[in-house]
Amino acid sequence: MNVQPDFNFIKAMKEAGGDTLKQCYQCATCSVACPLSKDGDPFPRREMILAQWGMKEKLLADPNVFLCHHCGDCSDACPRGAKPGDVLGAIRAYAYQHYGWPSGLAKLCSSAKNLPMLIGIPAVTIFVLWLISGGMHIPAGEKFAHVGYTHFFGHWDFRLLSKNVLFIDIIMLSAVGIAAFSLYKAISSMWKKMEENLGIGEVLYRPSVSLFIKDFLWPSLKEIVSHNRFRECTVNVDRVRGHLPLMLAFIGLFIVTIYSAFTQDVIGIFIPSMHGPISMWNPIKLLANVSAVAMIVGIGILWMNRTKMEAEGKASNTFYDWFLIWMIAGVGVTGLAAELLRLVGIPSLGYVVYYLHLVSVMMLFLYLPYTKFAHIVFRTFAMAFERFRESAYVKDPLND
Amino acid sequence: MSDTAGNGAVLVVGGGISGLTAALEAAEVGKDVYLIDKNPYFGGRVAQLNQYFPKLCPPTCGLEINFKRIKDNRGIRTYTMTTVKSVSGGPGNFQVELETAPRYINSNCTACGDCAAACTDEIDDPFNFGMRKIKAAYLPHEMAFPRRYVLDKEACSAECLEAVKAACKYDAVDTEMQSKTFTLNVSAIIWSTGWNPYDAEKIENLKFNSSPAIITNMMMERLAADNGPTAGKILRPGDDKEPESFAFVQCAGSRDENHMEHCSYICCMATFKQISYIREQYPEAKIYVFYIDLRTPGKYESFREKFTADENTTFIKGKVADIVAEGDGGVTVIAEDTLTANKVQQKVDMCVLATGMKPAMAQGQELGLTIDGNGFIVSEPEKGMISAGCAKAAVDVYTSGQSSTAAALKAIQIGR
Repeated sequence: MNVQPDFNFIKAMKEAGGDTLKQCYQCATCSVACPLSKDGDPFPRREMILAQWGMKEKLLADPNVFLCHHCGDCSDACPRGAKPGDVLGAIRAYAYQHYGWPSGLAKLCSSAKNLPMLIGIPAVTIFVLWLISGGMHIPAGEKFAHVGYTHFFGHWDFRLLSKNVLFIDIIMLSAVGIAAFSLYKAISSMWKKMEENLGIGEVLYRPSVSLFIKDFLWPSLKEIVSHNRFRECTVNVDRVRGHLPLMLAFIGLFIVTIYSAFTQDVIGIFIPSMHGPISMWNPIKLLANVSAVAMIVGIGILWMNRTKMEAEGKASNTFYDWFLIWMIAGVGVTGLAAELLRLVGIPSLGYVVYYLHLVSVMMLFLYLPYTKFAHIVFRTFAMAFERFRESAYVKDPLND
Repeated sequence: MSDTAGNGAVLVVGGGISGLTAALEAAEVGKDVYLIDKNPYFGGRVAQLNQYFPKLCPPTCGLEINFKRIKDNRGIRTYTMTTVKSVSGGPGNFQVELETAPRYINSNCTACGDCAAACTDEIDDPFNFGMRKIKAAYLPHEMAFPRRYVLDKEACSAECLEAVKAACKYDAVDTEMQSKTFTLNVSAIIWSTGWNPYDAEKIENLKFNSSPAIITNMMMERLAADNGPTAGKILRPGDDKEPESFAFVQCAGSRDENHMEHCSYICCMATFKQISYIREQYPEAKIYVFYIDLRTPGKYESFREKFTADENTTFIKGKVADIVAEGDGGVTVIAEDTLTANKVQQKVDMCVLATGMKPAMAQGQELGLTIDGNGFIVSEPEKGMISAGCAKAAVDVYTSGQSSTAAALKAIQIGR
C-alpha cells in the first residue's frame, strides 16, 4: 500500500483537539475498552493509525467515526494519553467541514477566531431586517402583555400573513433551507463514500425511500431516543443525564415549533386572532416551558461535565465542543429570559433579549451542518448505514 | 574486618544478584563492605526464578558461588532483615542509621527444622507469592543464605510460640527479640534495592482477583520451579488442573502511563522463557501471546525465533484489555488483533500477566537519593550514592552484573 500522508489533515487534527494523536502506539486497548466497538469491526484503534498516516479519505468514509459517542472510556484506558475519544471528535469536526456546503461557511465554523463573524452574520441580518421592517418601536406595558414579541418586526392589518411571521419565516426558513440543502449534499456524499469503502462494488438493489426509512432510519432513530448506546459508556455515563433531557427538549421544542408554525402561519392566515402569545395553560405552551427548562438543565449538566472533564485532563478544551454548548445555552437562556421578561412586563429589556434569542436560534440553524450539532444528522445516518451494511442489500445471504 | 572500617568502607543496600556482585567486587579488591537486605535471606528475585538468562541456569548455579565467595571473604559483613532508616554526612563520611527487624531466631540455629515441625500456626508463603501455606517458623527457601529459620511471631498464638520454643534443642528461639538500630560509618553507598513485580490488582481491567487462573509471570516462575508450591509441575492454582491452553498478557502495567510508563525490558524474554517451561511439560498445549511489540534485544533474538516457529504458539499483536472469568475455571482474554482488525476473545485454561518491574525503593527521596520519573534511582557517584542493577533501570541479570561491577568501581574510589 502506498500511503500519501496529508499534512494539512494532520494539522487540522491537532487544531481540533486531536493533538494527542501521535502518542498512540497501536496497542488496541481502546478497541476493547470501547463499549460500542464491534467484534468484526472494532474501533477506534484503526481510526487512530489512519489519522496518524493522514489517510483522510478512509476516515471520511468510515461510519465508526460517527458511531463513536465520545464517552471517553477509551481515553481513560489509554496507556499513552493519546485520547482516542478526542481524536475521533476531531475527525468528526474535520468531516463536517469537509462535507459542509458552502465550504466558506463551513470553514468559518472551525475556529474561535471567527466568532465575531459567526455571531455577526445573524446579528446583522436580523438587525437589518428589523430596520427594513420598520417595526422599530417597543410597545408600552399593556400592549406588551397582549402581543408579546409578535410585533417585533412591526404589525400590519394585512389579513393573510402577519408581518412578524413573514419576517421570522424569511430569516429562519432561509437558515433552515441552507442547512437542509447542505446536509442533503453532505449525507449523500458520505453515504456514497461509505458504500465505496465497503469494497463490494455496485449495490445491485437499493431500498425505496419508504423501505429505507422503515428498515434503517426509523430503527436508528428509536435507538437514539432510547439512548441505549450512550448508556453503555462507563467512565462518563453522567453525560447521559445531560444529553437525554437536552435531546427530549429539542424534540419537545420541535413539536411546539411545528404547532405554532401551523397555527400562526397557516391557520393564522384565516383567523388572525391566532397570532400572539399562546396561553400559558395551553398544553403546547406547557410543553414549551417544560422543554425550555429541560434544555437549560441539560446543557447546564453538559457544561459542568465538560468543565470537569477538562479540569481532570480527560478531554481537551476545543472550540468545536464549546461552540455548540454556548449556542444551545444561548438559545435556552435567552428564550426563557425573554418569556419571563414578557410575563413580568419589562418590554425594553425583553426586546433586547428577544433579539439575542433570534440571533442564537438562527446561529443554531444556520451552522447546524458545520458544527458539532451536525452529529444529530451524521450519526443518525451512520447508524442507518451500520444496519444497511449488515442487510441483505449488501450481504448476499446466499453467499455468506 | 578491620577496626578502621568506615575509612573507605562501602555499604551495599540490597543483596540480590546486583548487591552480591557489587559487594564482592568491592570486597575482593580489599574494601570493607557491609551488605544488607530487608529479606531474611540473600539472593533477591533471582532466587525466586526457575531459570534465568542468559544461559537459563537455575538460580543455585549463580547464587551459590556468590554465597561461597561471601562466606570466604573476611571483608564482608552481612545483615538480613535490615533496612536503612537515615543517611547523613557526605561522600567519604556517611553515617547510616540501620534497623534490623527481629528474626526471633538467633545464630544458634542449625536449620534442623524441629521448630517448624512443632509450629501449629501457618502463614502464606511469601517466597511463593502466597501460593501455599507454610509453618510460621520457616526456612525462607531450601537454599536460603544465611541458612537460618525465621519466626513470624505476629502469626503465632501463645501456645504455638511455647511449642516452638520448647522444640528447639539449641536455645535458638528468642521470642523476646527486639528490633535493633545501629549506625555505620561508610564512604560510599551502593543502592541495589531491586524491584517488585507490579501489583497486578492495580490493573483493574485485567481483573487479577477474579480468578485463580490469572497469575503473574513471577508466580509462573515459582510454579515451574522444583522447590515451588507444586514441586515444579505447572498446575492451575485453585483446582490443580493441568492446563491445556495458556495466554500471556504482555505489558501488564508496563508502558502504560496509568501504571508504569517505562518498558520493563525483561517481560518479553520472560514470556519466551516460560513458553519453554510449558513446552517441556505440555508439548501440545496451545499458547497465545498478546503483545504490543516483542522486545527481544540483541542476542535474545535467536531465542525468540525458536518459539515464533512453534506451531502451537500464536502471537497476537494487540494488548489484552479485558479478562472474563469463566465458569469452568478458565478465563477469556479479549484483545483486538491489530493485524486482522478483528476482536479476539480467546478462552484459555490459564492466563499469565507479564507484570513488569516496579522499583522497590519507595522512600528514596527521604534518604537523599535522586529518583527519576519512573521511580528508578539516579546514580550519583559524585554524591557517593551509586545505584546498580534494577534499582537503576529495568534490566536483565546480565546487565545487572555489568552495572554492579561498574558501581563497585565507582564506590571504591570514594574516601580513600
